[in-house]
Amino acid sequence: MDKLKTGIKNLDYILGGGIPVYSLNIVSGSPGSGKTIFVQNIIFNSARNGLKSLYLTTISESQFKMVRHLQGFKFFADDFLGDKVIYGDLGAVLREQGTDKVLGYLTEMIKRHLPNIVVIDSFKAIRDIFPDEKAFKAFVFDLAAALSIWEVTVFLIGEYEEKELTLLSEFAVADGIFHLYGQEEKRFQKRYLRILKMRGTNFEHGEHLFKISHAGIEVYPRMKPEDNELQYEVRLGKKGFGITGLDEMLCGGLTEGTITLISGSTGTGKTAFALKFLLEGAEKGEKGLFLSFEEPVAQLQNTARHLGWEIDRYLADGRLDIKFISPIELDVDKHAFEILDIVREKKVKRFVIDSISSFERSVYDLQKYRDYLWAMGQQLKGQHITTIFTVLNEELFSPMIVTKAQISLMADNVIILRYVEADSSIRKVVGILKARGSDHDKALREYEITKNGINILGKLDKADMLR
Amino acid sequence: MGELIEKQIERYETLLREMWTASAKYLGTFSANLLVERVVWEVSQEYREMELLQYNEEGISCAGISASLKKNPDLPANDMFAKFILRYLEILARLLGHEKTEKIAKKLDEEFPGFLLTARGNERWIN
Repeated sequence: MDKLKTGIKNLDYILGGGIPVYSLNIVSGSPGSGKTIFVQNIIFNSARNGLKSLYLTTISESQFKMVRHLQGFKFFADDFLGDKVIYGDLGAVLREQGTDKVLGYLTEMIKRHLPNIVVIDSFKAIRDIFPDEKAFKAFVFDLAAALSIWEVTVFLIGEYEEKELTLLSEFAVADGIFHLYGQEEKRFQKRYLRILKMRGTNFEHGEHLFKISHAGIEVYPRMKPEDNELQYEVRLGKKGFGITGLDEMLCGGLTEGTITLISGSTGTGKTAFALKFLLEGAEKGEKGLFLSFEEPVAQLQNTARHLGWEIDRYLADGRLDIKFISPIELDVDKHAFEILDIVREKKVKRFVIDSISSFERSVYDLQKYRDYLWAMGQQLKGQHITTIFTVLNEELFSPMIVTKAQISLMADNVIILRYVEADSSIRKVVGILKARGSDHDKALREYEITKNGINILGKLDKADMLR
Repeated sequence: MGELIEKQIERYETLLREMWTASAKYLGTFSANLLVERVVWEVSQEYREMELLQYNEEGISCAGISASLKKNPDLPANDMFAKFILRYLEILARLLGHEKTEKIAKKLDEEFPGFLLTARGNERWIN
């Protein structure tokens, strides 16, 4: 089936290539949800592909105001006006001639302009003019039939509430339904879109974040764990930290393509361990990406220099890349998608997120957070990327809690960093809680972080100090 | 001469009815008539007489065209009907897909051997 490419970032991907041509689509949402911009973006993108659109306003927004608002968007081009994008006023016909003249007017406009796309904004306004539901239902049926015969793809825009979407007759006739809505989350005002129906194509269900910027609409597809069992080739290669004692504890290092959690309380050195893992990879020519939600790039560079590690050379030659996203700006819906894009583009072999606790804090729904991490984890494993997620353990002296959200279940390896009391002083110990598919040292070993890096020391003598 | 034209128009009428019935099976009679309306409008840009084609829920009648031809025997009716049929099938192919349209075309070809081949010449209705 031929598809109309919307040209909106990631929307065609969600739609399995685009909107089936000659389909009748309803774009619903409350006022201010972005319906008009959504459709305008599609018609201007289509104009660039040589397609002609007829945009008919009713009584909700004047053409003058609409065009005035659109001028701020990058997709808008006034060269298309009157040629590829033609505006018409259906409201005048409705007011002066009544509802029974609408179809005739539409057909005349189609004969005159031969458009590929017809938009009616707002269709809900037409519904409100009809005397009864029966007459409106007949009109919708006739409209759908007439427009499809003229090989037109239709967008009907309306201020429908979510509860109306299953009740009103136009939704039964529609081939596609896009529902746009907003939601106030902890720190961001979010916009979401859901495709409730799309005949003739497979599409990605669920809510997808979208943003409206100067560039127009950008969609961030929902990240979801795969329905099917993850199939990927297990590689037996080991990826070391370059920390002698730790690599010994791990019997050579982390198994390639696995996910490791490094859990520890504040100051235990989670960031340093993770950074060293990437520097060791860079030394071996493997590209690494360090995604920091905690420390800016300069601070991480300083840490590495203090520990005697060569970081600047690797940053300069591109073997190591550090991206810092302020936890205040972190928007998981958007960034989770972008992160995977960067990992793919840069052909990263070793990847660190420091820390996933920041992810957790920025998501209002814990289940959503788990879904994001599972989905990311699956995609990273599928690409054989050896990944470390650091996670903050808020219990200073307890090794028992890895993460509150039971994220440790998705990890192949779990490394615990913790404080213990011994001889009236606080010491740090490292232990391997789990190393899937590989043997590992079960002991807890003391470690120190000095200007010479991370040194793994011996086992603790006074094990009774552990709680 | 008059009889010849009548016979010729009768033949076209039968062909159009067959085509209309076959397409209504997929489109429904309402949409099949909308398609006829569209093609009538398109062909009438060249041949105004096409507007004399009568159609409703029951089917198609060429009585109006036949009467007009009697007054104006020079009208290139063959070309007008050929254009109508080709355009109808061309749109149908885009709406229903190639497979179903080929099925309709094959049926027409069986009942009116050689007509579609002559009408379309080197053209194909399937893009």
